[in-house]
Amino acid sequence: MKGAAVSALAFTVGGAEVLLTAREARAQDVPLKVLTSDERAALEALGDTLLPGAKDAGIAHYVDQQLGVAPADCLLVLRTMDVVPPYVNFYRGGLAGLDQASLKLHGAKFAALAPDQRYAIVEQMQQKAPDGWTGPPPPFFYFITRVDAVDVYYGTVEGFERLGIPYMPHILPTRSW
Amino acid sequence: MANEKVDVAIVGAGPSGILLAAKLSAAGKKVVVLEQGPPFEMKDLISSDIWARRLKWGGPTVSSEGRTPILFNFNVGWGVGGAALHHFANWPRLHPEDFRMKSLYGRGLDWPITYDDLRPYYDRIQTEVGLSGDHKAEIWRPAGAPYPMPPIKTFRHAELISEGFKKEGMHLSPAPVAINSVEYNGRPACIYDGWCGAGCPIGALANPQATYLPQAIKAGAEIRSYSYVTRVLVNGSGDRATGVEYYDRQKQRQVQTADVVVLAAFSAHNPRILFNSSTDKHPNGLANSSGLLGRYMMAHHLSATWGMFDENIENHMGTTGAQLMCQDNYTKDGRKEAFGSITWFIGTALKPSDILGFAGGHGAVFGEALHDFMKKAARGLTRFGAQGEEIPNRENRIELTNRKDEFGFPLARIVHEMDDDAMNLFHYECELGLRIMKSTRAKEAWTGTTPAFSHLLGGTIMGKTAKDSVTDSYGRTHDIANLFVAGPGLFPTEGAVNPTFSLHALTLRTADYMAAHWGSVAR
Repeated sequence: MKGAAVSALAFTVGGAEVLLTAREARAQDVPLKVLTSDERAALEALGDTLLPGAKDAGIAHYVDQQLGVAPADCLLVLRTMDVVPPYVNFYRGGLAGLDQASLKLHGAKFAALAPDQRYAIVEQMQQKAPDGWTGPPPPFFYFITRVDAVDVYYGTVEGFERLGIPYMPHILPTRSW
Repeated sequence: MANEKVDVAIVGAGPSGILLAAKLSAAGKKVVVLEQGPPFEMKDLISSDIWARRLKWGGPTVSSEGRTPILFNFNVGWGVGGAALHHFANWPRLHPEDFRMKSLYGRGLDWPITYDDLRPYYDRIQTEVGLSGDHKAEIWRPAGAPYPMPPIKTFRHAELISEGFKKEGMHLSPAPVAINSVEYNGRPACIYDGWCGAGCPIGALANPQATYLPQAIKAGAEIRSYSYVTRVLVNGSGDRATGVEYYDRQKQRQVQTADVVVLAAFSAHNPRILFNSSTDKHPNGLANSSGLLGRYMMAHHLSATWGMFDENIENHMGTTGAQLMCQDNYTKDGRKEAFGSITWFIGTALKPSDILGFAGGHGAVFGEALHDFMKKAARGLTRFGAQGEEIPNRENRIELTNRKDEFGFPLARIVHEMDDDAMNLFHYECELGLRIMKSTRAKEAWTGTTPAFSHLLGGTIMGKTAKDSVTDSYGRTHDIANLFVAGPGLFPTEGAVNPTFSLHALTLRTADYMAAHWGSVAR
């Protein structure tokens, strides 16, 4: 089975639920259900800073789709981290903090910054809150979104193939994440 | 709504609850198991670290607080099978000194039983479940029957690490695991694909779905999923449990009456249910005349030592837990740095994602450097770990908060702090681990700087009297004779071994006792 099939998510396109990979959903510009356009832009820019390629791999669509399910069904790593649901509050707070810090430091939101400016902010997030930050602790937000980026890029059959290691499943995931 | 009365109502379909259900049903008792989460089956155990998160806690929030908070959700199970559904099946035995910490060292607590009391149950469980290992090579192992299966395979990454241990003069043995090295009791042998943590759907690993759940169902036990137990109900005089209250999937209140109630939920949830069951006769919670309900919560701290090799070390092969083990540092008072036992686990199969995967090996790396790291890691990254003991501390506890669940019952929080001994033990593990890794052929070696935590024990500790404990050695609460607790919440000390084997042995002992003394148990 191809990796594309195993990383499919349930998205609503034209009123019907279809299975797409997060990459396909992004390529088709499937509307997000939970995150705003500003939040999507910030998450995609952050994802690509943490792991180049995470944006095209559909990090925003992956996270958005999972934020739309019940906490007990959620597959985001955040579920395992003792964060109180609804999990959207965590992402909303962190992405807002990222934009606020970017505005204070550079006069523009994170997605509009130059790559080296983004890199510097992310580097600072690992240690402490950048000036102007609000929301969850930046090192924790960095940790979670970094796992999200790795999940969407390397956590699938395609991702294993990129690294040259066999997936060796007993049971492949064939529906949404 | 009232349901037909049963002999035994068991709360929680984890390994203890399922084992009890199997044994008591086989003894002719009518058993219902009430499980809060979904009814996972083998076919649901999808090979993916992302999907595996469905097997982690998905119920009401339990806050983790204190100076060194435990990562609660990551460790807890969700649904039928409980935490054993995603456990790694490392099954070493506790040591005799673990049962007598207070008597031998003047620290912590004693168990009300000794290793010799539990030994026959370890032996029976390992025969029933099937363990792989080498009892002769495991030179630290207490007396017991040989393992019924030979050791599991070792792969290149474990062999490379073993060179470092040998240079340090330390002995390694095959890890004792509840994973089939050969076909056993109709269950197949492991194929070493490293998906243990996502649940093993072929039945090579001893999760409850592979072991006692089929027996429980065959013997007539009913497993009732999506049943959220909120309280144990007692009679007017407060000296007898009459059943439990729970909410079903439609959020309807239900009552299950029973002659005997067993709380076999996770260590944190049993105290919460008992606190929430307070009555005028038990104003501080059921089974809490000692004031120790929720006290002496314990976790194992974990240290990880990482190494990057410049060759293909087959790090994606093997089991998630361990291929090799070392207990040279198990003696509690044998070192100047700190008191407590240590077990080393060597040879863990790694996957790319999730917090235990490649990317978690170097959390500070991001950007293009993360791609470079992942590519190197896929060939040459490995880690080994130490699991350290903490002395039972009365102040480490679970208690109710002011926040409530959707039905109006207070939520719980865990307050946890590593004491100086545990923290010094962790630093000792890091220093020794780094020295070991540097003496291998690894090109780079590093350790983490903060401890992680695994397992959750205590909170309903067993003991000899109602003054010093919540239950007796069978898990029977001192205050209410037909109310029992099962699982690692009973442990007064934790040793430095994974609790699953010991909780199986302890639960089997309780099952034998209940079946043999039913007249007094259900009185």
